[in-house]
Amino acid sequence: MAMNLNGVSYIVRETMRNLIRNSWMSLASVSTVAISMFVLSFFLVLTINLNHVTAVLQSQVEMKIFINRHVPRSQELALLRQARHWPDVRRIDFFTKQQAAASLKQEFPDQRDLVALISKSNPLFDGYDVYTYRPQAIPQLAERFHKESIVHTVVYEGQVVSRLDKLSNILRWVGWIVEGLLGLATLFIIVNTIRLAVFARRREVQVMKLVGATDWFIRWPFVLEGMVLGILGSLVADVVVDGGYRWLTGAAAVALPFWPLAPLHSVMSEVLMFTLIGGVLVGVLASMVALRRFLRI
Amino acid sequence: MIRLDKVSKRYPNGHYGLVDVSLTIRRGEFLFLVGPSGAGKSSLIRLLYREEAASQGEVFVDQFKLSSLRRSQVARLRRQLGVVFQDVKLLPQRTVYQNVAFAMEAVGASTRDIRKRVPQVLELVGLSRSRDNYPHQLSGGEQQRVGIARALVNNPIYVIADEPTGNLDPETARDIVKLFVEINRRGATVIMATHAKDIVNQMQRRVVAIERGRVVRDEVRGAYGYES
Repeated sequence: MAMNLNGVSYIVRETMRNLIRNSWMSLASVSTVAISMFVLSFFLVLTINLNHVTAVLQSQVEMKIFINRHVPRSQELALLRQARHWPDVRRIDFFTKQQAAASLKQEFPDQRDLVALISKSNPLFDGYDVYTYRPQAIPQLAERFHKESIVHTVVYEGQVVSRLDKLSNILRWVGWIVEGLLGLATLFIIVNTIRLAVFARRREVQVMKLVGATDWFIRWPFVLEGMVLGILGSLVADVVVDGGYRWLTGAAAVALPFWPLAPLHSVMSEVLMFTLIGGVLVGVLASMVALRRFLRI
Repeated sequence: MIRLDKVSKRYPNGHYGLVDVSLTIRRGEFLFLVGPSGAGKSSLIRLLYREEAASQGEVFVDQFKLSSLRRSQVARLRRQLGVVFQDVKLLPQRTVYQNVAFAMEAVGASTRDIRKRVPQVLELVGLSRSRDNYPHQLSGGEQQRVGIARALVNNPIYVIADEPTGNLDPETARDIVKLFVEINRRGATVIMATHAKDIVNQMQRRVVAIERGRVVRDEVRGAYGYES
């Protein structure tokens, strides 16, 4: 909408006046937004970290493909070359049954019987170690290998990953629901703050309507007020989350040195984005709701 | 031109404000709307600036067809109109100057235009010396003049006044009506609902009489017509 400079300065002036006139209610609104955004951030941090752990585990997950006995080496290598280009295959390594035996011996040097058994007549298979990009792709990929005629069995350890995946899905849902409820409560409180501001100025609003001000011209100062409340609240939450997460990473480095926490900057960039968008949305929505009745002249 | 075409206004409680009213008001006219309290004068005026919508029939104000007006167009309609209310509707915490300037701010006028225009209008209504007073420091007549200045400041084509003299003593009321005559002389169309019998009789202007929601009389050089 076209808005000249006079309009803009009017709007900024009115917004400041409203915020200061109702400073206590403004403070209450900012606090509510902050609490709501803090809870949002809490769930965000949890899911981000869960995703991070999943990703770390993923990179360690491998699928083992065992190949039928008496398959010529050329066929084994042909499939290897083919499979390299399949989507979702990050890396694929070929091993012979001799190599498999050697690594078994290395891994379990104390198991005499085992070592004796595989030394006498090697019961192991040739095969591939397969690494993927996404744990979700593992079952499909396994299926695809299984269809190859030379493949004997496919073994993968997908359960941990898929459980983590499920957990983060559940967490996401819980987060949305809790955040939805909190969002409503926040909306309600900001609506009331702005309604107070509108009510204090209902005569102005009425006169403006009657002399032909457009709805948006009347609305802007209140919308801006809602936005400022939302953004201030979000920033308070962000500062708390930033401090808290710094402390957590510090403490975790000592207590759980091997636990892979998501790095601060990636956590904060998401938290900032979501809380600011959330704050602005709640603020704008609240002011629109608060004004509805007063604009109906 | 303002035109009402078989307009009826029925309120939610079943009461009729207007019944089958047809009326044409040309640009430049000065028109008194007379009739007893509750006859429908205010209903008619509220239809003109679209505070209310007609239940039946159609109201036209220049190019605007009021039954099918979107909200953004309501704002544009009202910029053609200057409305003066019986209760004036001044903002108590703003000065005379600020009250008048506010109407210009509300339609996005520039500060320079406001500084130029507001003193002119205050001059016209005779309030130049009270520009920094607050409404409660003014007499009823002066307050009404502020209301008139606010209605005029955006250069409306039509000035619509709903009993602007209702709360004033006869002497002050006469001055206010003279002001409207002057406004009319300068080119604005004036529509004024009033009870002030003496003034109407004296002015010899067009008089539209409304009773129980119906137009009962429309005379070019009329009188109030209620001798009782």
